[in-house]
Amino acid sequence: MSQRLKNIVKAGSLLALASIAFGLGAARADEIVIGASLPLSGPLAGFGSFQQWGYKRAVAEVNKAGGISIGGTKQMVILIIRDDKTDPNAAASNTETLISRDHVVAMLGSCTPALVNAGALVAERAKKPLVTGCDPLEAFKSVRKWNYVWDLFFDEPELAAAQFKALAELGAQTNKKIAIWHDNGPDGQVVGGKIWPALAKDFGYEVVQNAEFPVDNTQFTSIIGEAKSKGAEVVLVDAITPQAIAIRKQMAAAGFTPKVLNIEKGAEPVQFAEALGKLSDGILVGGYWDSSLPYPGAADLSKAFESETKLTSSQHIADSYAAAQILLDAIASAGSTDPEKINAAIAKTDKTYAVGPVKFDENHTAKLPIVSLQWQGGKTVIIWPKAAKTGEFLFPLP
Amino acid sequence: MPDIGVALSTIVSGVLLGGMLALTALGLSIVLGVMRLVNLAHGDFVVVGAYVGLFFLKFTGVDPLLGLPVIALIVAALAIPLYRFLLAPLAERGPEAQMMTMFAVAIILENAFVLGFSADTRSIERDYATLPLTLGPVTVPLIYVIGFAIAVALILAVHWLISRTRFGRDLRASAADAQAAATLGIDVKRVQMLTFGLGAACAGVGGTLIGAAFQFGPSSGAAYLLNSLAIVVLGGLGNVLGTLFGGVTLGFLQSVGGLTLGDGYRDLVGMALFLLVLAFRPDGFLARRRS
Repeated sequence: MSQRLKNIVKAGSLLALASIAFGLGAARADEIVIGASLPLSGPLAGFGSFQQWGYKRAVAEVNKAGGISIGGTKQMVILIIRDDKTDPNAAASNTETLISRDHVVAMLGSCTPALVNAGALVAERAKKPLVTGCDPLEAFKSVRKWNYVWDLFFDEPELAAAQFKALAELGAQTNKKIAIWHDNGPDGQVVGGKIWPALAKDFGYEVVQNAEFPVDNTQFTSIIGEAKSKGAEVVLVDAITPQAIAIRKQMAAAGFTPKVLNIEKGAEPVQFAEALGKLSDGILVGGYWDSSLPYPGAADLSKAFESETKLTSSQHIADSYAAAQILLDAIASAGSTDPEKINAAIAKTDKTYAVGPVKFDENHTAKLPIVSLQWQGGKTVIIWPKAAKTGEFLFPLP
Repeated sequence: MPDIGVALSTIVSGVLLGGMLALTALGLSIVLGVMRLVNLAHGDFVVVGAYVGLFFLKFTGVDPLLGLPVIALIVAALAIPLYRFLLAPLAERGPEAQMMTMFAVAIILENAFVLGFSADTRSIERDYATLPLTLGPVTVPLIYVIGFAIAVALILAVHWLISRTRFGRDLRASAADAQAAATLGIDVKRVQMLTFGLGAACAGVGGTLIGAAFQFGPSSGAAYLLNSLAIVVLGGLGNVLGTLFGGVTLGFLQSVGGLTLGDGYRDLVGMALFLLVLAFRPDGFLARRRS
């Protein structure tokens, strides 16, 4: 190889390395780059896969329509997704990377308070707009006063109250003894440690057990044994999916079948029912979306997901799809990729999306209406409120 | 203070579960004893066993408990090439190189699980996995009893294999002094390869039982590696029967921890015990009575 050729190879290699290191070439002037850190592996991967689909669909629709007009020129949207492996530290570093290397103009959120808030704090510091679902509003609001981060999801007190209201209206007859089991994550502590005990009292229940466990706990033998010995007929659980599956299996193996079993968070994704089979029947979970709700595009969204993936849809496709649409609408409305202008446009959002009506309040939150869902034959049906009902209440737990 | 039924049920469940975990630790123990290798991918071999059990049921319709010998062979067959092509060439470079290689294998396996099977949490769905067994005031999961019985039978079988057969003699000689064994005509590399395969087979059987009793996913291996390490240290490195003792002891003490401090503190009790044993009896409780 001649010296000249060697020099060219060296220069090319250095340029390639520099491109990787400094993100050169990550964005072209005629492209709008947005990004997201998502849990595509680890315990929350069940949520991440649905969110990824929702984000990608919204972006694909915009690009199919020709992109977004910026300064009179239509620009395609590029979505960069990084896997945070269900690790808040990775969510934060992914967000840093999206900003510094990928040069995103705005971002979409991860899932659960731990992951969303970790990335949101980085976005807030960098003054880059971030729209997210999948972060319960109280947990989101408790972090700080947000300026650049926006959250559309359910409100924990409303979700927590939904099952109590549903049981009362549906006439579920129990001995009114409740066992509460919750993880020690931020939302687990809020819902299981504070809101549920207070609501139980208001609705005339006696809390016979309130047990907290680490998020990665796998053994629940003594917790289950204690609830059984205290005669709890209503069990409320707040845990992520692997724990939710372990709890249901261990309850059955311990011969403990309460009349009502409600599992928040972990019982949402379809993998919960797939892993449990008929053991998932009768389990309640609060929900904020179902394809039967009368929102524009709701039914089509679910059908599109199921035909594309051959999987059963989840409510997480709706908030993620809507979050991406809100961000893309804001970029279009701003007609600019300037983060300040995009942020101002997000603030003005007032529209009914497939997930429901979205209008952000002064805390940068948009509250989604709650329904009570129940797993029946591997699918969820709405059992409350009556106006939205899509199936009969299966009671007691089989 | 929990009532007597809850306490007894929790403790008996813990002991039975400890037996199952001993089986998952057995492979780590014998590989450590013979090859002086802390197999950092061992937890992922357990997960491989769970996936093999799941897909064995899905594609054959045969109960994975009946298919355990086949599952063990499949996992061993997957593991042996790892020894042949990754570990054996590094044999002269000390245990650190092999250990780091298996660390890399663990990471690759976890990513392969995600790519191949998605990151979903899975469980092997069997009726007996969710049935209770009640004897007086004690209620335990039936799967724990089944798992314990299989674990004890397999551990005794491996003990017999190591203490009563020609392969076992070669294995013990290789464990005691590989160089001396080689000069006596023992094919140490072959012994190590078969030991590695045997270890993986035990992990595979344990993984299928775990997959039926609990849930698993691509990243579940780390927890089983940690538990296995604690059991191996408790029972003594390379001590087959000690592994059963270590598993049962860990299960018992974790149950006591769960009862007194709450289920969330089981692992804390286990790891505290692990550190105490490492500090005061680094060869394990049964160090003098090695197989």
